[in-house]
Amino acid sequence: MIDRREFLKMAACLSVSFGISNFPTVISAALKKIDYKTVPRLIYLQGQSCTGCSISLLQAESPNAVSMITRYSKLSFHADLSATSGKQALNLIEEYIAGRAGEYFLAFEGAIPWGMPEACVIGKRPLDHYLTAAAKTMSGAVAIGTCATYGGIPAAEGNLTDAVSLKEFYKRKKLNPLLIDIPGCSVHPDWVWKTIIHLVQVGLPELINGRPKSFFHRKVHEICPRYHDFQQEIFAQSLGQKGCLFKLGCLGPDTHADCPTRWWNGGQTWCIGANAPCIGCASPMFASKKNFPFYRSFEKAVLRTSEGNK
Amino acid sequence: MKVDIGPVTRLEGHLSIHTTVENNVITNAKSVGEMFRGFEVLLRGRDPLDAQQITQRICGVCPYAHGIASSYAQENAYGLKVPPNGRILHNLIQGANHLYDYLLHFYQLCGLDFVDVTAILKYKGSDSDLVTLKDWVKAELASKSSFPAAPFLPRLSGRYISDDEINIGALKHYIESLEIQKKANKASAIFGGKFPHATAIFPGGCTQEPTMDYLASYRSLILEVRDFIHKKYIPDILAVAAAFPKYWSIGQSRGGFLSFGLMPLGPELDSKRLFASGVLSGKRMAQVDFDAIREDVKYSRYSSPSGLKVKDGELIPSVHKSNAYSWVKAPRYQGKVMEVGPTARILVDYLQNNNVQVRKLVDKFAGMAGIQADNLNSVLGRHLCRAITAVVVADFLLDEIERIDIGGLYMAQYDLPRSGEGFGATEASRGALLHYIRVENYKIEKYECVVPTTWNCSPMDDKDQSGALESALIGTRVANPEEQIESNRIVHSFDPCLGCAVH
Repeated sequence: MIDRREFLKMAACLSVSFGISNFPTVISAALKKIDYKTVPRLIYLQGQSCTGCSISLLQAESPNAVSMITRYSKLSFHADLSATSGKQALNLIEEYIAGRAGEYFLAFEGAIPWGMPEACVIGKRPLDHYLTAAAKTMSGAVAIGTCATYGGIPAAEGNLTDAVSLKEFYKRKKLNPLLIDIPGCSVHPDWVWKTIIHLVQVGLPELINGRPKSFFHRKVHEICPRYHDFQQEIFAQSLGQKGCLFKLGCLGPDTHADCPTRWWNGGQTWCIGANAPCIGCASPMFASKKNFPFYRSFEKAVLRTSEGNK
Repeated sequence: MKVDIGPVTRLEGHLSIHTTVENNVITNAKSVGEMFRGFEVLLRGRDPLDAQQITQRICGVCPYAHGIASSYAQENAYGLKVPPNGRILHNLIQGANHLYDYLLHFYQLCGLDFVDVTAILKYKGSDSDLVTLKDWVKAELASKSSFPAAPFLPRLSGRYISDDEINIGALKHYIESLEIQKKANKASAIFGGKFPHATAIFPGGCTQEPTMDYLASYRSLILEVRDFIHKKYIPDILAVAAAFPKYWSIGQSRGGFLSFGLMPLGPELDSKRLFASGVLSGKRMAQVDFDAIREDVKYSRYSSPSGLKVKDGELIPSVHKSNAYSWVKAPRYQGKVMEVGPTARILVDYLQNNNVQVRKLVDKFAGMAGIQADNLNSVLGRHLCRAITAVVVADFLLDEIERIDIGGLYMAQYDLPRSGEGFGATEASRGALLHYIRVENYKIEKYECVVPTTWNCSPMDDKDQSGALESALIGTRVANPEEQIESNRIVHSFDPCLGCAVH
C-alpha cells in the first residue's frame, strides 16, 4: 500500500511529465473537484477555417467532448453545434463580445483575411469586427490550430487575402489580449482540452513561444520511436516503406509536438506510425513555401526510383 | 419582406440565406457563401504530391474525400498502375469516413431541428449520460447565466417532437453517436495515419501496410458502427419522418441529379463502382462527361470569365462586383442546375439498376414510409438516402477487408512524370466531387476543384437560374418569417459545407 504522502509524490512526478510542475498548488488543485459553475464559458468563432480543428476536438477520449463542453468548460457558442441560428445567434455573440453576458474565453479557429475583410463575414459584419470587440472584453483567447496560430494554408505563399494568424491580427491592431497558441493541422484534441482544464484548475499553463510547454517542448524527431532507425541509418527509401522517414522528407526534426508519445484518434495511430512522413503541420512554416514540398528526396532516393514497399 | 437568416449554424462554414417572404411563403432565396481562401491559386507552382495533403485542408469534415479525389486525379495524370490492395485501402479509408459523416450530420447538425431538448427535464430513468445531462440542464436553467444551457438553448421557435420517449432516446443517441463517430474515424485513421487530415493517403495506395493486426481492428470498429447504424440511426430517422411527414415533400430542388459514383470495385479507376455514376436530367439518365461542366460567375465575386470549363478554370476575386452576392461559383451541367449528394447518389444508382442492395433498401423504406421515388427529393428523402448509403457502405467495407491480399503491394511504384493531366472524381459524403490537376515541369500548373456544396449552394447562374438549395427554399411556407426553422431544416438536409463550396 502507498500512503498519501507517497501518492502525492508520485502525482508530482506525473505532473512533471505533463509539464505543469511550475505550479506548487498543482496537486491540491488537481485533487479539487471541478465546480462547473466556475468553469469558463467559451465563445468559439471560425475564420478562414476548414472546421478540421472543431472536428478533431470531437475526437477527444478522456475526457470526451461532451464532458469538455458541459463539465470542464461551457460552450456558449459554436457554429457547428449551437441550436441557435441567424439573428438569435448573432445576438448571443454580440452580447458576449460587448461584455454584457459575463466572462468568457474566445476560442478561435482559422486565419483572418487581413487584406480582404469581405473574405470572411459573419452576419453582415466582417470577422474583424468580432475579434476587435472581443479583445476588450474576453478573459483571453485560445488560437486553435495552425491557421489561427501561424496563418497556415490560407496564409501560404501566393494567397490572395493576406491571411494572418490571430496573434498577427492583434499585433497589427495594436491590441494585446492574453493569447495561447495551440498549433496543429488539425489540432490534437488533448492539446486544446487539456490546456483548458489547466486553465480551469491551475491557471495559465507555462508557455514556450506562445505554446503550452507540456505539448510542444520537444521535437517529433527527438522522441520518435524510429529514432533508433535514424541512428542505425535504416531509412525508408520509398513511400510505404518502414524505417526512419527522414529521407522522404519527414519534418519530425523541425516540428515541435508530442505526437510520437501521444498518438492520435484515442491512441489508435499517428502519422509516422502509418509510415507517413511528418509534414510539420504544427510548425510555423507549415505549407508556407511553394518550393519546399512535403516529400523531398535528399539522396534522390524517393519518388523517382522506388523499389517496392518493403 | 426581406429576411436574412444567416449565419445559418450547424453546418460547415459561413453560409447566409437572404430570403424574400410574402404572406409567409418564401418567394426568393439567395444562397450566400461568406468565406474565401483561394486554394486553386495556392496550389499553383507547388509539387504535385503536395496536392492530396493541401486539398484535404479544404474541408476538415470530409478531408478524406479530397485526399482520395486528388489521388485519383494524380493517378490519371501519372498513368499509375495501382495494386489491388492500394485501391482497397483507399476504399476502407474513404468508406469509414462516410459513416462518421452521416452520423455527425444527423445527430449533431440536424438533430436539434427536430428533437425537443427540454424533454430531458422529464427524464426519470437512471442512465448515467441522461441523468448527467438532466442535472446539467437543470442547474444551468437555475443559474443566472445570460444564455443558460448553451449550446442546446436558445433555439428557434417552432414545433419539435412532442413524444418525450423519442426525444429522450434521441438525446441519448446524440451523445452515443459521438462515441460511435470516433470509432469510425479510428478505423479510417488506421490506414490514413490520423483523422482529420490523413497523411498516409497517396496516389496509388496508402503507406500503411494492411496487416492482419490492423485489419482485425478495422473490422471490429466497423462492426460497432454498423450496429449503431441499424439499431439507432435508422430507427431515429424513421421516428423523425413519422413526426414530420410533410417533409417528404418540403425542400424539393428543381433541377437534375448528378453523381460521380463511389468506390471503384477494382484497382482501375474506370472499374464499376459500388454506387454508379450518372447524370439524371428529367427522366433521362446519361453518362457523365466532365467537359459538360461549366462554372458561371455572374453572381459570384470573381472578375474572371464566366462559363469556363473545369480545365480552364480561373479565379480572380472581385470583392465589390455589382450584383455578385456569393463567393460560391455556379457550376452547371450542360447549362442545367444539378443537385448532388445522397439523393442524387441513390437515384442515379437505383435507376441504373447498379447495386442490388440499393434497390432493395429503397423499395423497403419507401414501402415503410409510404412514399414514391419523387419523395426522395425532399428534406426527409435526403436523410433517408444518407442512411441507405450508410448501410450499403458498412456492409461493403466488411467484405472489402476480406479481399486484401496480405503481404501484397499496397502502394503503386512511381516515377513522377514531367507533365500530365487528370481528373479525379468520387462521391464525398456531401456528393459529387471533382478534382483536376495539370502538371508541367514537375509542378502544378493548374488545379481545379468542383465540390458538392459548390453545386448545391451555388448562386444564380448566367441565365439567372437559382441553385439547387435556392430552388428548394423558394415556395416554402414559413410560420415565423424572422426565424424560419423550416428553412433551417431544408438547408441542413443538404449538409452544406461552405469551406468546400468556395475553397
